[in-house]
Amino acid sequence: MGRTVSVEIVYRGIFQKTLAKNISRGVVLAARRGGKVGIAFGRYGDSPERNGVPAKNFAIVAPDQDELELSMAQYEPAETDVTIAVDDTLCKGVESWAWYGLQPINQKVRPDGVLVVTSTLPADAIVEFCHRKPFPYRLAVIPAIPSFSGLWVYKNDHTDVRVLGTLAKVCPELVSLEAMLAAIKEEWKDDLKVTSARRAYEQTEVRVVRPDEGNPEVPYTFTLPGWTAMREGVTVEGMPLGAPMRVGGEVGGYRPARNPYFKKFSTRTMRPVVDFEKCVKCTLCWLQCPDGCFDVTPEQTYDLNADACCGCGVCAAVCPVDDCITMVNEAAFTDHRSQWERYKADPAAYAAWVRGMLAGQSERSHGFRYRGQYQEQIAKLRAGAGGEGGGE
Amino acid sequence: MDSSEMTAAPLPVLEPFKGVKRVPLEEYYTSGHRTCQGCESALVMKLMVKAAGPRTVVLGSTGCMYVANTTYYSTPWVVPWMHTQLGSAGSAAVGTAAGYKALMRKGKIKREPINVISFCGDGGGVDMGLSAISAALQHTEYNHLILLYDNESYANTDIQSSGSTPYGAYTSFSPAGKAKRILHRRWKKNVAAMLAAGHSECRYVGTVCASYAVDFMNRIRRALSIGGPTFIHSFDPCPKGWDCDPMMSHELGELAVLTGIFPLFEVLDHRLALYGKSKQIAEGRQKRLPVRDYLLKQGRFAHFTDDDIDYFQAKVDQMWTRWLVPGVLPFQADILGDKPPA
Repeated sequence: MGRTVSVEIVYRGIFQKTLAKNISRGVVLAARRGGKVGIAFGRYGDSPERNGVPAKNFAIVAPDQDELELSMAQYEPAETDVTIAVDDTLCKGVESWAWYGLQPINQKVRPDGVLVVTSTLPADAIVEFCHRKPFPYRLAVIPAIPSFSGLWVYKNDHTDVRVLGTLAKVCPELVSLEAMLAAIKEEWKDDLKVTSARRAYEQTEVRVVRPDEGNPEVPYTFTLPGWTAMREGVTVEGMPLGAPMRVGGEVGGYRPARNPYFKKFSTRTMRPVVDFEKCVKCTLCWLQCPDGCFDVTPEQTYDLNADACCGCGVCAAVCPVDDCITMVNEAAFTDHRSQWERYKADPAAYAAWVRGMLAGQSERSHGFRYRGQYQEQIAKLRAGAGGEGGGE
Repeated sequence: MDSSEMTAAPLPVLEPFKGVKRVPLEEYYTSGHRTCQGCESALVMKLMVKAAGPRTVVLGSTGCMYVANTTYYSTPWVVPWMHTQLGSAGSAAVGTAAGYKALMRKGKIKREPINVISFCGDGGGVDMGLSAISAALQHTEYNHLILLYDNESYANTDIQSSGSTPYGAYTSFSPAGKAKRILHRRWKKNVAAMLAAGHSECRYVGTVCASYAVDFMNRIRRALSIGGPTFIHSFDPCPKGWDCDPMMSHELGELAVLTGIFPLFEVLDHRLALYGKSKQIAEGRQKRLPVRDYLLKQGRFAHFTDDDIDYFQAKVDQMWTRWLVPGVLPFQADILGDKPPA
């Protein structure tokens, strides 16, 4: 009869809520066709979801009702057979709320389990983002621009069924391809979606990730105080006031103190790159940033704090100078170094870095900007990838 | 010194910021809140306390700005903050202001100006807490500001419609269906004008939008320094509920004003004046943009047909051409059609 299989879907809150629901629901529907039972659920702690903040859905499939109920006593599975990251920048780690720390994307993947990622990057690049595991596990990359939409209008680019088709390949004990395709056909009544799922099944390549591969950093963690350690009346200590920046011999500007328990950067999928040569010191990026993530430098320019920025793009939208602030795919960055300090250390090298960042842009967007946008994006996908996201 | 001066709580002197370069660098609401990307209400919190300064106490009723700002025993607030229940922004404001006044009168704390700001979302302010806000605006002996951050739905609990949700918007309570395209048929409440008209002793009521940050902060400073209870209605684009790219928050705030959907006005000592772009629209110096420019950029209006857009436009046109005070007071007095001789 087999054993209980756990699938975890890590997604961007709100942007991919419908996508994650479609995947977890699809898993359970397919499992039922295969004579098993299952349950799909969102994690309570993620609610209320916020745009971009990493959230999780789960699908648990068991051979019978008793086995399923056993595993339902858990808040979330301790380990998973499959973890799905529907956005590659999640592979840098996820921080879903304060005191959560930065948790590796593959944290719950069991030995010989599989991590499935949608990305336009090659598997080797994804491996570099993921924190190391002490044992080998498998990685499958679905070639796709991560699918982002919003709460009301869904971008039907077939990412949901391509993930489902891939699941049948990488975890056959979960569900057979036939059961999966039948479930997709019944749920969406769309032959193109069935074709997309089958193609994903055929094209999936799996790579083994060794323990000596990946990001060697140990991610930060916190120990949540128990109720006896909390302050009287459960009051929370306020944040201290910030202070002027001290850089080398210079003192000036302002650097706010920041909440150490929730850094928020794992919410980010795009990062602003500031060209300090073009800055006219208008203050708008700093003033309009909802997250207060700009430090005011002694020169009255504005330096992004890469721990605090959640990548909303408002700074780039309000900046009055062309190409002064540009949003760049977070996957292109390897560290959180201060851009201003880099600029001060070597302006010429910094200018070259900015040019490189702007030139190597890969496509990303954050949901609905105008009516008809998703149709245009899907048409482009079809034309570019020979039927991808819509079949023939 | 007469007895009322002895007992009245002292008021701060808060001159308007003269231009964006004079805005102080200090942040009293800092990074590390679990809000959405591009959350305009988080920006409202930041600008609100930046304008008020360090001697400020903030009270927040339940909503996004409570839940997201206290994620798991941590907070971005630098100034003291307290949570209050969903309908009690008004009661909390009066109670806190009265408490400080009493402590100062009894000599238990130093006599000094302390700003009391109580904020609520549109669920807390336009629906549930409206009566408490009304009561608070009658208690003229206490100095406080009630700030309504209006993201046009119960956004924290995943976008249920409120009395502030615009006509036709897609929400959890009003999904667009095949049989019924438009489920939310109520027109948005005009809360600031309602409160101004109904509370003749309240010295300041205003509307603001954080897309115009300096104007925004100067209205906060005016409300805090005038004395007595005051009320400000802030219009906050919400990427989650409006279904828009977070980078468009600023632009949608501007568009709501430029299309005339959300007029900027203030009632200062019972004198009503439009300001900013709304004033320019009224004076014919700024073209009022078609509402289409605003509606088509949001997923919550993606089901609108041309007829729906025309209807929305007609309602906004009516606000600007037929109302006694354009965009503010919906009365259509006969006297308008019967102009007295000059």
